[in-house]
Amino acid sequence: MPYFGSEETVKELKRALSNPNVQADRLRYKNYISKVIRSGLDVSTLFMDMVKASATVDIVQKKLVYLYMCTYASDKPDLALLAINTLRKYCADPNPMVRGLALSNMCNFRMPGMTEYIEQPIVAGLRDKASYVRRVAVLGCAKMHSLQPNTEIDGIIVNELYALLRDPDPVVVVNCLRALEEILKDEGGVVINKPIAHHLLNRMKDLDSWAQSEVLTFLLRYRPRSDDELFDVLSLLDSFLQSTHAHVAVATLRLFLHLASAHPAVQADALLCTSAPLLATCGAASRELRFAGLCHVQKVMRSQPGLFSTHYKRFFCGYSEPTYIKFHKMEILVELVNDENVALVLEELSSYCTDVSPELAQAAIAAIGRIARTYSEKCLDILTGLLALKQDHITSAVIQTFRDLVWFCPQSTAAVCQTVEVCVDSPQDSEQALLWLLGEHGEKISSAPYVMEGYVDGLKTELSLAVKMELLTTAVKMFLCRPAETQDMLGRLLHYCIEEESDVCVRDRALLYYRLLQRGVEETRKVVTGPKSDPSMSVLTERQEEPISQWASTFNTLGPLSGHDLCLQTAVISAADQPSNSTEKDPNDTEEEISLSLGPPLSHETFEKMWLDLEILHRQTLGSPLPRTALDMLQAALQLVKIQTLAFTPGDTVPWKAYIYTRSTGTLILAELLQGDPQAPGSDESLVVSVKQQPVNQHAIRGFASILKSVLQTLNDDSS
Amino acid sequence: MSASAVFVLDLKGKVLICRNYKGDVDMSEIDHFFSLLMLQEEEGLVCPVMSHGNALNVTLRNERASPVPCVQVFTEYFKELEEESIQDNFVVVYELLDELMDFGFPQTTDSKILQEYITQKGNKLEVAKTKVPTTVTNAVSWRSEGIKYKKNEVFIDVIESINVLVNANGSVMSSDIVGSIKLKTMLSGMPELRLGLNDRMLFALTGRDKGKSVAMEDVKFHQCVRLSRFESDRTISFIPPDGESELMSYRINTHVKPLIWIESVIEKFSHSRVEIMVKAKGQFKKQSVANNVEIHVPVPSDADSPKFKTSTGHAKYVPEKNLVVWSIKSFPGGKELLMRAHFGLPSVENHELEGRPPITVRFEIPYFTVSGIQVRYMKIIEKSGYQALPWVRYITQSGDYQLRTNS
Repeated sequence: MPYFGSEETVKELKRALSNPNVQADRLRYKNYISKVIRSGLDVSTLFMDMVKASATVDIVQKKLVYLYMCTYASDKPDLALLAINTLRKYCADPNPMVRGLALSNMCNFRMPGMTEYIEQPIVAGLRDKASYVRRVAVLGCAKMHSLQPNTEIDGIIVNELYALLRDPDPVVVVNCLRALEEILKDEGGVVINKPIAHHLLNRMKDLDSWAQSEVLTFLLRYRPRSDDELFDVLSLLDSFLQSTHAHVAVATLRLFLHLASAHPAVQADALLCTSAPLLATCGAASRELRFAGLCHVQKVMRSQPGLFSTHYKRFFCGYSEPTYIKFHKMEILVELVNDENVALVLEELSSYCTDVSPELAQAAIAAIGRIARTYSEKCLDILTGLLALKQDHITSAVIQTFRDLVWFCPQSTAAVCQTVEVCVDSPQDSEQALLWLLGEHGEKISSAPYVMEGYVDGLKTELSLAVKMELLTTAVKMFLCRPAETQDMLGRLLHYCIEEESDVCVRDRALLYYRLLQRGVEETRKVVTGPKSDPSMSVLTERQEEPISQWASTFNTLGPLSGHDLCLQTAVISAADQPSNSTEKDPNDTEEEISLSLGPPLSHETFEKMWLDLEILHRQTLGSPLPRTALDMLQAALQLVKIQTLAFTPGDTVPWKAYIYTRSTGTLILAELLQGDPQAPGSDESLVVSVKQQPVNQHAIRGFASILKSVLQTLNDDSS
Repeated sequence: MSASAVFVLDLKGKVLICRNYKGDVDMSEIDHFFSLLMLQEEEGLVCPVMSHGNALNVTLRNERASPVPCVQVFTEYFKELEEESIQDNFVVVYELLDELMDFGFPQTTDSKILQEYITQKGNKLEVAKTKVPTTVTNAVSWRSEGIKYKKNEVFIDVIESINVLVNANGSVMSSDIVGSIKLKTMLSGMPELRLGLNDRMLFALTGRDKGKSVAMEDVKFHQCVRLSRFESDRTISFIPPDGESELMSYRINTHVKPLIWIESVIEKFSHSRVEIMVKAKGQFKKQSVANNVEIHVPVPSDADSPKFKTSTGHAKYVPEKNLVVWSIKSFPGGKELLMRAHFGLPSVENHELEGRPPITVRFEIPYFTVSGIQVRYMKIIEKSGYQALPWVRYITQSGDYQLRTNS
C-alpha cells in the first residue's frame, strides 16, 4: 500500500544503490539492500539496481538480493529474464555454495516461460559433484513441474531422479522421493518397488529424523511378497520403534500396523514398544507436541485400552496446561479407570470440578458421570458433595450428569432421587434435566410437586420453549403418579398454555395432552410413559475393543488431531454440497436405486451424540426375523451393500439391538435394528428398523429400507 | 506433506516475517488466521490444528506461530526469541528459513550444521566464506574435520530434574526424574569416546552385583551415539559433536521422596486478611546443600500490605504474578525452615473467581543425583593419541515441582 512519501523513499534508495561510493563500501551497500527489503513499500522499480547488486562475492548480500528477486519476479517478468542470465552464469561458479544458491533461487521465480531457461542448469545440477547442488537441483525438478503443472511429464528427468535414489548423500535421496512424488502426483506418486524399498530400508540409518519419518510414510506403499520378506523388513525397522524422535517412532508404528495387519501379535508387540515414546510425547515440553501425543494415545486406546492403564498418573493435568490438553487428558483418564486406580483418579477429577474455567469444571463433572456408570457409589458421593458448593455452573452440570446417569444405569436412581430433593432451585441451563428427572421419577422425590409448583407459577416469565415443553410433559407424568397433589397444577398449566401461550408448538402440545387426558388416565399412561432407562444403550457407550485397522490408516496424520469434529464436518459439508444435485434430478426417477456409500468412519461418540440429538423419521417392520446365521455374517453382508455396523448386542439376547449407519447422496443415515421389543408385542418375529437422518431425505430412507430388507431376506433364504 | 509457507507473527497478528515456499497458497490466508485464533481463544478451545477454506493452518503457538524446529533453531541463534530479536536479525532469519526448508521440505535442521552455512553476523565480512561447509560431504554430519584445541578436555554434566505433583492433602500424586547428560567437548580431531554408567541393565549383562545401579527408562541419545552397540551390549560409544551438546536423556519412574517438602496453611478471612504459614523441610542428606531455593506461594490478586517473617532467607511480594517468593540462598539437608506472611484484603470483595495455583519450588543441589547415577568412566581415544581429561559434575534440580494448596 503506497502512502505519502513512499515514492520519495524509493527514489532515495535508488539513488543510494546506484551511488558508486556506496557500492564501494560493502557494509553500506548491504545496509541499503536490507533497507530495500524492509521498507514495506512497493520497490519493484529498483529491480535493475538489485540485479547489479547480486554481482558480489558476499554470500549474505547475494541471498538478500535473491530474496528480493524471487518476490518481484512475477511482477517484472521482462526484467527478471535479464536477471536469469546472471544467475545462469553463477550456476557455473567454482564455489558449490554459489552454484546451489543461484540454482535454487532461479527455480523459485514464479513466472511463465521459466522452464526453458532453468531446464538445462537443473539437468547439469543433477550431475554436479557437490551434494549441496544436487539437493537443490532435485527439488528444482519439482519446482519446474509445479510451474507448468499440465505439461507432459519429462521421462528423462523422472528416470534421472529414480537413478539418484542411489545417491550417497541422504538428503539427495529423500529429496528425490519428494520431487518424484510431486511430479508424478497425477499418476499416484512415486512407485516403491522391491529394490527401491530395500534400498531405502538399508539407508534409513543415515537419514535425519525428518527424512526417516517421510521415508516410512512412502514405504506404506510397499507390500512385501512373502511372510519371510515381511519379517525381514520388520526386523530392520524394529529399532526405529523406540526412536528418540517421537514422530519417527509413531511413523514406524504406523508402518508396522499396516504391514503386519495379518499378524495381530506383531501389532500388539509394536504397540507395546511404542507406548514409551508415545507417553514421553504426552509429557513433552511443547504443548502442541503434547496435544498430538495425547490424540494418538487415544487412538491406540481404542484397540488396546489396557496398554496405558499403569501410567494413568501421567495423564493428571498440570495447573498451567491449556484447556485443550486438559480435556483430552480427562477423556483418557475416564478410559483408564480400573478397580485399583479408581479412587485416585476420582480424587484427581474431583479437584478439577472446582476449576475456575466453567467449561473445564463441567467437563470434569461429566467425566465423573461416565465413571459413575461402573463405579456409581463413589461417584455419586462426589457429585452430591459438589451440589453443596452452590455454584450455578457446577450444580447445572451435576444435574445434567444425573439425568444421563439415571438413563444409563437405573440402579443409581434411588440415590439420585434422594439428592435431587435438595436442589430445588436449579440454575438456568439444567432446568430441562431437572424437569425430566421429576417427571420420570416423581414418585420417589417427595418435594417434586412443590418444585413443579414453582415452575408453573413462573411460567409467564419463562422464555425457553424447550423448558415449557418439558414442563408440560413432566406435569402430565406427575399427574399420572401423584394425581392428588398435582391435579390443580396441571389444570392451571394446560389452561395457560392453551389460552394464553403464543407459541404454536407449546399450544399444540398442551392440546394434545388435554385431549389425551379426555380419553382417560389409562390411555394417557400408555402413551406418555415409556421406559425409564435404556440399558441396551450401553452397547454404544460401553466401548468394545476396536480392530486396529479401524484407525491405523489415519494414524500419524492430522486426522487424529482434528478428531471427531472432522467426521461431523465432512458429514455437514457433503450435505451442503448436495442440494444442487438433487434439485437437478428429474422427480420421476425416484424409483431409481439409490446408492449407499460408507464415507469416513463415524466414531462411537459422534454416533451417540447424533442419535440422541435427532428425531426418529421413519419406523418400519422389516417383515423378516433376525437371520439365524452368525452375526458376523450379517455384518459382512451389510458391509457389502455399504452399510456399516457400529455395535450390536450378542446374538441370543432379547431384545436384540444393533446400530448401523451409512451415507447416501449427501445424507447420513443412522438406524437401529430391534427385535423382540417388549413395548411392541408381536414384533418378536420380525426386525423393526428406526431411522434417523441428517439432513432429511425421504427418498434415501426408502431406498435404505428396501436394501436392508432385501439383505435380510437373502440371508434368511440362505439359512433356511 | 510439505509446508507451503511459514509465517512469523507478532502478538497482534501482524506478519513479521513470511517465507513462501511453494506459491500454492494465497499469502493473504494468514489474515484469517488471527481472527480465527482469537475466536477460538474466546471459546477457550484453541486446538493446534485449524482449517480455513482449503488451507490448513497448523499453528504452533509459542506466543507466535512457527514450526517447532525453527523455534528451537531460532532460540539457539538468538538465545531468546523476542519480537525485537526477529526484527533486528531478519537477514539471519531469512537465511535460516532458506536453509531449513526448500520447496517446503525440511533440509538441514541441526543448528550446529546450520551455523556453518550461515555467516552469523553481517559484519564478519572480511572473511566472507567462499568454501562450502565441510559437513556437507562429511561421513560424520555432526562434526567437522580438522578441529584443534591446545588443551583437550571434556566436561560432563549430569543434570537431574525432579517432577513432583503433591495433592492438597499431602499425598504424592506423581513423581519422576528426568535426567540428561550434557557434554562440552573441547577435543581435537575425530575422537572416539566411550561412556560408562552404573546402568542396571549393563550390570545385569555383565553379572556384576546390583549394589548401586540405576534402571533408566526412555533413554534417548544424540544422533552421534551408535544405537546398535547400545542395544547389543549397552555400551555408549560415539564421536562427539564439537562444543556443547546433549548426549543423552533418560527418565526414571520411581517414587522419589520430594527433596523439599512443603507444608502450608493459607487462611483467608474474607474482607480482612490472608495469613500464610509455610514450612519447608529439606529431605536430603545432611552433607548436601540446596542452593538458590525459591518457594513461590500464590496469594489472592487483590491482596495488599504484605508483612513477612522468615527464619532464614527473605520473602518478597511479586504483585504482578500474585506470588510471594521466599528465597533461601542455601538450604542444608535435614533442616526445617519457616515463613509467615500476612496480607490485607480489601473490604469490597473481588467477584472474579480465581484459580488455585499450586505452590512451586525451585532449587539446585550440586554434587548429588537423586537417582544415584554415576559416570564410572569416560574413555577418549584419538588417532594422534593425546591425553584428554574428562571432568564430571552432578546437579539435581527442580523440574515441574508443584504442591497443590487447599484454600
